Amino acid sequence: MSKIIITAIGKDRPGIVSSVAQVLFQLGCNIENVSQTILQSEFAGIYIVSTPDGTDFDAFSQAFHDAFNEKGLHIHIKPMDTEAPLTDIDGEHFIITTIGPDSRGLVYDISCIVAEAGVNIINLKAVFEGGNNPERNIMVYEVLVPDTLDRHLLSATLKEKAASLNLALTFQHKNIFDTVNRI
Amino acid sequence: MLNENELLSTVEMLKYEHLDVRTVTLGINLFDCASHDLEVFKANLRKKITGLAGTLVSTCNAIGDKYGIEVVNKRISISPIGVVAAPFNAAQMVEIAITLNEIAVEVGVDFIGGFSALVEKGMANGDRALIEAIPEALTQTDRICASVNVGSTRAGINMDAVLLMAKAIKRGAALTADKDGLAVAKLCVFCNIPQDVPFMAGAYLGVGEADAVINVGVSGPGVVKRAIDRAIEAHPDIDLGEIAEIIKRTACKVTRVGELIGREVAETLDIPFGVVDLSLAPTPTVGDSVGEIFQSLGLISIGAPGSTAALAMLNDAVKKGGAFASSHVGGLSGAFIPVSEDLNIEEACRNGFLNIEKLEAMTCVCSVGLDMVAIPGETSEETIAGIIADEMAIGMINNKTTACRLIPVPGKTVGDNAHFGGLLGHATIIAVKNCEGENHFVRHGGRIPAPIHSLKN
Repeated sequence: MSKIIITAIGKDRPGIVSSVAQVLFQLGCNIENVSQTILQSEFAGIYIVSTPDGTDFDAFSQAFHDAFNEKGLHIHIKPMDTEAPLTDIDGEHFIITTIGPDSRGLVYDISCIVAEAGVNIINLKAVFEGGNNPERNIMVYEVLVPDTLDRHLLSATLKEKAASLNLALTFQHKNIFDTVNRI
Repeated sequence: MLNENELLSTVEMLKYEHLDVRTVTLGINLFDCASHDLEVFKANLRKKITGLAGTLVSTCNAIGDKYGIEVVNKRISISPIGVVAAPFNAAQMVEIAITLNEIAVEVGVDFIGGFSALVEKGMANGDRALIEAIPEALTQTDRICASVNVGSTRAGINMDAVLLMAKAIKRGAALTADKDGLAVAKLCVFCNIPQDVPFMAGAYLGVGEADAVINVGVSGPGVVKRAIDRAIEAHPDIDLGEIAEIIKRTACKVTRVGELIGREVAETLDIPFGVVDLSLAPTPTVGDSVGEIFQSLGLISIGAPGSTAALAMLNDAVKKGGAFASSHVGGLSGAFIPVSEDLNIEEACRNGFLNIEKLEAMTCVCSVGLDMVAIPGETSEETIAGIIADEMAIGMINNKTTACRLIPVPGKTVGDNAHFGGLLGHATIIAVKNCEGENHFVRHGGRIPAPIHSLKN
């Protein structure tokens, strides 16, 4: 059984999910996993589907596009590399937040340091808190810090960079957020 | 991923609302250090405390750093010295306090609490020596806290001990006259003292406790105030039942932070975890005040009519939130109203909204008592004893902890300012009735019998 990844991006409106699901149903596929989000007015969804035995990827891709008639939705289909080993890193989840004025290259500056340390960003969110205070843009990064990494060095480097950008940066273990908010 | 509100509210609590772990307190049992030989006893103390607490400070700092929450104070509570050092006289007790102070410096803790005696029903030789040593001991040390339990619901009030404590307070203040009586800011007189308080000056390790235990004190008046402010801003017609619910939920969150940090410290040190004490403990910093909560609740100032009701609601909601968040809530767990340690409460005293009588009334519903109250230096021993006896009676009858931390500031009188420094803050000296007069009631001595509701068995 092969797996295919379908991504759909377009202006959000009622019926996007059902139209994708309808075509997949017609083509005999099973949706194994799906994640979607809405940023401002834009919808983005990513589907991992398993296809019937013997499915030819090109033929499937053509059949999907033929059957799918939602206008204004960009669809990208690619086969999933099921052989690729999952990178299983021993580490702990930390949350980095930056609070301060928005600027060009802000995410780049922070994510560069994280990448150079060999740390994977699991999730990234921009939170713009209230429209009245442009000084309080908040970015939230969830990162997986390997056990072998010097966390203090990473934290210090990030804080130094943040200070130069006039940002307040926090670097905290994810458990503190879970503990405070979830019972 | 956590949602935005969860992330932001947590960051706000930690970064802007002064939520911190106020203290991680390592309780150490000293009964196995006992000896008739003072030098052996002191060596035993050093060996046991440094052995268990050697990495306390670095562990707390590392765990605080990991979670982005400061563990402000690292402290040690010990078995009551009045019991474990029972063979020694007062001068030797002072030497023990000095040794403990050296140990505190060596392991880097802010305070060691437990220069204590439990005398609610009577005084043994060690207790008497300890009480006699307290003024000198607290003058010659800066990291030792003393507490004496003079009453309980089950035993009544030991009025002989009350008078002795009044004398100790006067003498301790006189010995540190150049520092506005600072010595007695480290001394608490208790009724119904809990065995597991992590907060100073009342921390000691009860005799029913384990060999070593980690207790955590979490604070967070700023967090509670902001939660109330936000709720009232969003819903100006919110009723008090709903406000109490908000306080309760906030207290729950705060307690869980303490539990997380405490358990991890305990696990790292391989010491059992004891309790979380969730107390709204202010510091002399704007935004970290219990008094400000009263203004958020709609009172012109703490002390204005309505304050006792507001404090009762606050104290109860904090306890309920804490009890839900942790299976082991202990210590004092409630709201503190220490005058000099809270800018807003101090201001209320200065402006006349709070006097000693109103403070006493409020202690009926707060979690401690008359705390860090500066009174005129000329206040007589007997009047101080009377104030203590009144406060103890509130605790005894209401089956709750009450305490007195009174500072008769030498050479100063009503309206003058006393500076204690650091977390102890400063206070305007407030009036005491019959300040310099006699008080034959307290001179009767003996023991006020335990109340009828102590007969529970």
